[in-house]
Amino acid sequence: MDTRLQQDHRQNAVQQHRLVDGQVTNLPAREVVRCEGVSQRVPTSEGPLDILTDIDLAIQSGESVAIVGASGSGKSTLLGLLAGLDTPSHGDIWLDGEPLRALDEDSRAALRARKVGFVFQSFHLLPALTALENVMLPLEIAEIVDAEATARQWLERVGLGNRLSHTPRQLSGGEQQRVAIARAFATQPAILFADEPTGNLDRATGAKIIDLLFALNTEQGATLVLVSHDDALARRCQRRLMLVSGRLVTEVTT
Amino acid sequence: MSIHASALLRLSLKSLRREWRSSEIRVLMLALAIGVGSVSTTGFLGDRVDRAIAERGGDFLGADAQLSSPNALDPDLLAAGNLQQSRGLEFASMLAKGDAFQLASVRAVDSHYPLRGKVVIAPDSASPGRVQNAEPKPGEIYVDGQLLPLLNVEVGDTVEVGAAEFRIAGLVQDEPGRAGAVFGLAPRVFMRLDEVGKTEVVQPGSRVSWLYYYAGEPEVIAAFVKDSKTKLTSSQRLVGGREGSEAVSGAFTRTSQFGSLASLVSLLMATLAVALAARRYALRHYDHAALLRCFGMASADLRSFYAVQLLLLGVLGSILGLLIGFGGHWLLLQSFAPDLAERLPAISAMPIVAGFGSGLLALSGAALPSLMRLSQVPPLRVLRRELLPLTRAAWALVLLSASLLLLLCWWYAGSVRMVAIFVGALAAFAIVLWALSLLTLQSGQLLRRLSPGAVRFGIAQLLRHRYAASVQLGAFSLALLLMGSVALVRTDLIDSWRQQLPADAPNYFLINITPEQNEAVNAFLAQRNLTVSRSYAMVRGRLTGKAGKDIREMVPEAAREENSLRRELNLTWSVELPANNKLTAGEWHGDSRAAQISMEDKLAQRLGIVLGDVLTFRVADRDITAPVTSLREVKWDSMQPNFFVIFSTGALEGFPASYISAMRVPATDRSTLPAFVQTFPTVTVIALDRIIRDVQQVIAQVVVAVELLLSFLLLAGVAVLVAALLASLDERRREAVVVRTLGASRAFLRRSLLAEFLLLGLLAGLLSAFGTEAVAALINAQVFDLPASFHPWLWLLAPLVGMVVVAGSGTLATRRIQQVSPAIALRETA
Repeated sequence: MDTRLQQDHRQNAVQQHRLVDGQVTNLPAREVVRCEGVSQRVPTSEGPLDILTDIDLAIQSGESVAIVGASGSGKSTLLGLLAGLDTPSHGDIWLDGEPLRALDEDSRAALRARKVGFVFQSFHLLPALTALENVMLPLEIAEIVDAEATARQWLERVGLGNRLSHTPRQLSGGEQQRVAIARAFATQPAILFADEPTGNLDRATGAKIIDLLFALNTEQGATLVLVSHDDALARRCQRRLMLVSGRLVTEVTT
Repeated sequence: MSIHASALLRLSLKSLRREWRSSEIRVLMLALAIGVGSVSTTGFLGDRVDRAIAERGGDFLGADAQLSSPNALDPDLLAAGNLQQSRGLEFASMLAKGDAFQLASVRAVDSHYPLRGKVVIAPDSASPGRVQNAEPKPGEIYVDGQLLPLLNVEVGDTVEVGAAEFRIAGLVQDEPGRAGAVFGLAPRVFMRLDEVGKTEVVQPGSRVSWLYYYAGEPEVIAAFVKDSKTKLTSSQRLVGGREGSEAVSGAFTRTSQFGSLASLVSLLMATLAVALAARRYALRHYDHAALLRCFGMASADLRSFYAVQLLLLGVLGSILGLLIGFGGHWLLLQSFAPDLAERLPAISAMPIVAGFGSGLLALSGAALPSLMRLSQVPPLRVLRRELLPLTRAAWALVLLSASLLLLLCWWYAGSVRMVAIFVGALAAFAIVLWALSLLTLQSGQLLRRLSPGAVRFGIAQLLRHRYAASVQLGAFSLALLLMGSVALVRTDLIDSWRQQLPADAPNYFLINITPEQNEAVNAFLAQRNLTVSRSYAMVRGRLTGKAGKDIREMVPEAAREENSLRRELNLTWSVELPANNKLTAGEWHGDSRAAQISMEDKLAQRLGIVLGDVLTFRVADRDITAPVTSLREVKWDSMQPNFFVIFSTGALEGFPASYISAMRVPATDRSTLPAFVQTFPTVTVIALDRIIRDVQQVIAQVVVAVELLLSFLLLAGVAVLVAALLASLDERRREAVVVRTLGASRAFLRRSLLAEFLLLGLLAGLLSAFGTEAVAALINAQVFDLPASFHPWLWLLAPLVGMVVVAGSGTLATRRIQQVSPAIALRETA
């Protein structure tokens, strides 16, 4: 890591403090995700396979970014790497100023718990837990006090205040995704990763979910990184990154 | 298209080798091994003892046939002219040396004993024994080595047997029937038959057994036994060969019968685990099977393909189980009766075949339905995953496997009636336990609301897999309940019974007091200021008839095998109603001279006898008939001499009688008993404390054996736990990935799993403690007539054991979940 980058990160850390102090709007944009020379190569029986090759990108705080590309182009792998779910075979990634390479899996988990929210294509709510408990879970993992009140509040905001004690099985797909969105925002993450958030929903429900996602994102001032096939969804993002065979080929800004 | 058999076999083997790493295959095989191990432990043991009895029946009896009779036999009665014969007399007597005394079982023999088998006598404790005749030289006896320390004597010393003195000339190391008589309580003494008179122990009315031994060609013996049985009275008993040895080994047989039922429970529980694992295997292979069918494999070939794999697993599991069973039976023998181990014949093929048979039967019964469904997967499933295998023949399969399992039960339980009782009881118990388990799990809801994140998540998991959890809970509770119950029997029940005995309850019984001695004995006891019961005359007689008909035809069917009909009862007469008796019906006969009977009310109830029934007793060689005029409630644990049947005065006069009395000697009084034995050497003194202690010791031995068998049950419980866990493993893994993605650490997952298993173990422990208390209360009420008592240690220990075992095995079975990496979250779980 060169000196310039280190300084950047120190600045980020300072800004982070000010963020916590609540002066969100007046701050200049800063990098929440930085990716330098990232490649992902996995061994297969027919020799190594390059899934991602030499990716450089930076995502500013408050930005919304869509990663688009054909099936198998490496979108989800990239999302997993950015979110610290996996480590790249080459290159470095910084998540909200923290170099992921320096962290072991449990420390990355702790980082995720504090700063990252997720919305998945197949919702991934825990079937054993009620809607309320599902939203409480990341709050409890992050050891945030008053998890229940916060979770309750978020479920009300996504319009499910009257479904608190329902289990995922008792909810429709759209409702499940709304619970997942409440869960993602409840910890007030600096960055939100969404993997095909409308992939399992019909068009009308999907549109509502997208509205909700963007509304909350704007309101929270969070960074949104999403992977999608859905052109309509991708177009609503400020930037679109196009992946072709593991390489970042175009970057479209609107 | 059908595949060539050898190609199919090769394909199956290859597939099995590939599958080897999957947990359900291993769990299935281990569960089977545990089940087979459990049944073959008792199988090996039972077979060896059985064959010892069958092959060397004569050795057990000391003859080919043996007649026992309470009185001497008319020598002309039986036509045994062409047989070898021997005569003996067996009775209990006191042996005394100085202040020390001990009750012994004396067998007086002639020079021909034993006709079969061998008696081994050692000249002293250090020397090896040699096979010889059991009859000592005049003035000498052979004794069991355990008598020496009890009497503080050595070989060569002189001891008193009743009124006579004998020199100990050797130690009995082996005798016919000894191997079977693991539980013999009174040590053996051999003496000469012609010297019994000298001891003055045997008097008219004494409780003795005359023994007549016969040996000869098998057909001659068979004819003799057949012919003689018609000539004997009901109090005489003639047994030949195997029959006799069965009597000798009765205690052992009963224990092993109980053991085989206990191991059957383990096998069935293991079978449950096998069924769960097989189901999971089938579920995981639907796609695989659909693909194979899609590639053109016929349904029948697919069936063979899986059947071959299953058979192989069954064979491997059974072999492993047989090895476990061999080890288990060896351990049992070593810890339980090491000297028996050397005497028994080697292992035969039978239990091996039986072990294999039960393994394959259990496996087929448990796994067949899943397997059949697997072979009926529609090939279209490759395109439409929601298509499930046909279930048209499902009920037929369930019926088939149920009958296979019933066949298995029948094999072990022996009779259809036993199977019905066993299966019925087990099913009822399982249902109750399952319902209780579901209820118990509800209590988890409460905890869930109160708990922090990881624990809440764990509890929620447990409740979510409620049905699997209730099966696990039921299996563990059953195992812990049975273990707790036998532990309680060993440690607590007898003790608490003993403690509640009245402080002044007699602790010594004096029997075989002759009418002439009776007054002197009473005077002796009065002089010593002891708490003494009154003495009762005792005449031995057998209940033979009611209203002029054979009693067996007159009693309810269930009472036909009643012990009190098979043996001579101790009859007495009395003017006063004994102090601890309470009249429940009729009027006490008082000093009426007319023959009347007062009967214990519970016996009367069992035998269907009511007031006014006229009963016939056979006493010596005469019949006495009298009406029942009163029924009594008897407090048996008063430890006083108690009687089922009390006659009015006069009815039994003139019959040979002996007297019985009971006394309490304080532990501090060390002089009374030696003085008593010296003054009345022919009176038999029975120390109740020692008998209770001996019985307790025997029970403890049996319990250790049973506990070893029950540890199989616990293992089977673990197998059920793991098999049921496997069913939810994929789902748990998916969820663990999500939780990790949300930022939970490995520790969070570990904590939540631990919370889940600890709660399961805790609930199983509490449920089993509850059940054990219920069983103990039942035993207390039924056997000891005691109120239920509370055992705090049980409520601590059972949950603790439950938590340790469940958490230990559960954590092990789910260790992969705890190590799951979130890296695969987006790829695999989408």
